[in-house]
Amino acid sequence: MIIIIAVGAAIFAPFAASNYLLRVINMTMITYICVVSLFVIFGMAGQISFAQAGFWGVGAYISAILTVDLHVSPLLAFFASALGAALLPAILGIALFRLHGHYFGFSTIGVVMILNGLFQNWKPVTGGADGIANIPPFGIASLTFNTEMSLFYLILFMVTAISVVTYLIHQSSLGRAFMAIRDNEIAAKCMGVNSYLTKIIAFTISGCYCGIAGSLYAFMSSYVSASSFTFPQSALYLVMLMLGGYQTLPGPIVGTALLMLLPEWFRFLQEYILLIYGLGVMVLMVVMPDGLIGGGKKAYEFIRNKRGWTDAIPKQPGNDAG
Amino acid sequence: MLDKVCKRFGGVIAADEVSFALTSGRVRGLIGPNGSGKTTILNVISGICETDPGNIIFEGDSITKEPSHMRARRGIARTFQHPRLLRRCDIKTNLFLGIDLGNMKKKSSVISKKIDQSLEQLLEMAGLKVNMRDSITSLSYGQQKLFEIVRAILTKPKVVLLDEPAAGLNTKEMERVKALIDIAIKNNAAVLLVEHSMDLVMNLCDIITVLNFGRVIAEGIPAEIQNNEAVIEAYLGKGRHA
Repeated sequence: MIIIIAVGAAIFAPFAASNYLLRVINMTMITYICVVSLFVIFGMAGQISFAQAGFWGVGAYISAILTVDLHVSPLLAFFASALGAALLPAILGIALFRLHGHYFGFSTIGVVMILNGLFQNWKPVTGGADGIANIPPFGIASLTFNTEMSLFYLILFMVTAISVVTYLIHQSSLGRAFMAIRDNEIAAKCMGVNSYLTKIIAFTISGCYCGIAGSLYAFMSSYVSASSFTFPQSALYLVMLMLGGYQTLPGPIVGTALLMLLPEWFRFLQEYILLIYGLGVMVLMVVMPDGLIGGGKKAYEFIRNKRGWTDAIPKQPGNDAG
Repeated sequence: MLDKVCKRFGGVIAADEVSFALTSGRVRGLIGPNGSGKTTILNVISGICETDPGNIIFEGDSITKEPSHMRARRGIARTFQHPRLLRRCDIKTNLFLGIDLGNMKKKSSVISKKIDQSLEQLLEMAGLKVNMRDSITSLSYGQQKLFEIVRAILTKPKVVLLDEPAAGLNTKEMERVKALIDIAIKNNAAVLLVEHSMDLVMNLCDIITVLNFGRVIAEGIPAEIQNNEAVIEAYLGKGRHA
């Protein structure tokens, strides 16, 4: 029933929404893809990355450069963005995953800063501080996505595809390998998981997602500049993931939707929005460290046990160690 | 087979020219006082620690320089003194991690909805008839230790390294440990058992190696070990001998 309502809302919502609201929703969905990318590398594989905004930028710039400067078709540019933004973390991962724990996370701050520096200063290629304008709309053959509504369906399709792929990864042996590394790397190795290679794969997949998001962003906004692809943007993705819950796939949906849409509804509080963000995140981390989805799950389990609903572990005589 | 394996941590000698071989379908006990290097030997075999000098031979190949995941793929499974499970995952995911390794050559796909009948029997034997969707942390400590042995068996191992599987378990759970080790033996795996429970060691092991300060001080069948003066002096004590 929920799925039917969601599908119905997704199909018919654009007809009821203004162009402005559609732009906000489209941007929310693009951001969601970046947050899901963080879910893969951090939520599943346990490797915190601040480089996501940088990879998002790589995807956006590849599409922009290929279509504006080299007149490549948008579809080809889209695939090049996904591939390019996947290759970069794959190569970086070879070196960076020699580092363990928090050191990897710190190194990714360097990655996003270097990439942002490149976007800003490599003027002949990236346009420097001016960025790249006049990016043509996305199109496949005669089909052109040049209205907010058509872009909505295109991005919705990509969001659905990425969500399904991520769910399948989560349920697969690869997903279990990711989670094994996250929860206990030594145990993972003893269960045949090549932790080094598996981390690189997770980083590559997350980069690919960012590349797709970047390409969609470039075609949607028809302009890219370095100011979008910064370290604070990466930190915001992390906040969105932590807010929604970093251990389950619905977490990124909830976190992104809240932090992207709420500021639109509470515009009158614009001046205080960072203060509210900061306080909200602090309170949430204390009260619900597993995010809203994790907290909700715990609350459900608490009520379930309180009411004596079944499917609890049958206690067997002599099974308790102490 | 371990050939003169040494391991030093700074000035501490944890293993000093330790040599022994494991045989399919047989249990070798590895006993000794605390700090004698038993767990270090398991870590060296499973690849968590590198050997200093020394060689580890598996089915004719030297695996001394191989990383631990390659050794696991060859069929060396292990459990830990304190269970190392995926603490943020459910029981099913933890279980399938073992099945993934067992099926690695077949390429495991999406988790099937069904739990295989033989697996169900294995879980029943381990006293783990539980809801697969529950968190792994909902299991008691004893259940977690048994679960780790089940997961090791699911990898279809050729060698099983058990690090104090009975520590902290009650009598019934210890019986279950025995039953699970019997299954590993029936599957023709070689078992290396590190354990302080002498009843379990003396009942299960075909041969016992005794370590003290990283050195092998005795090796033999349980009856010989029980009467070995050096072992009584270093580990078993006079009460056991009497």
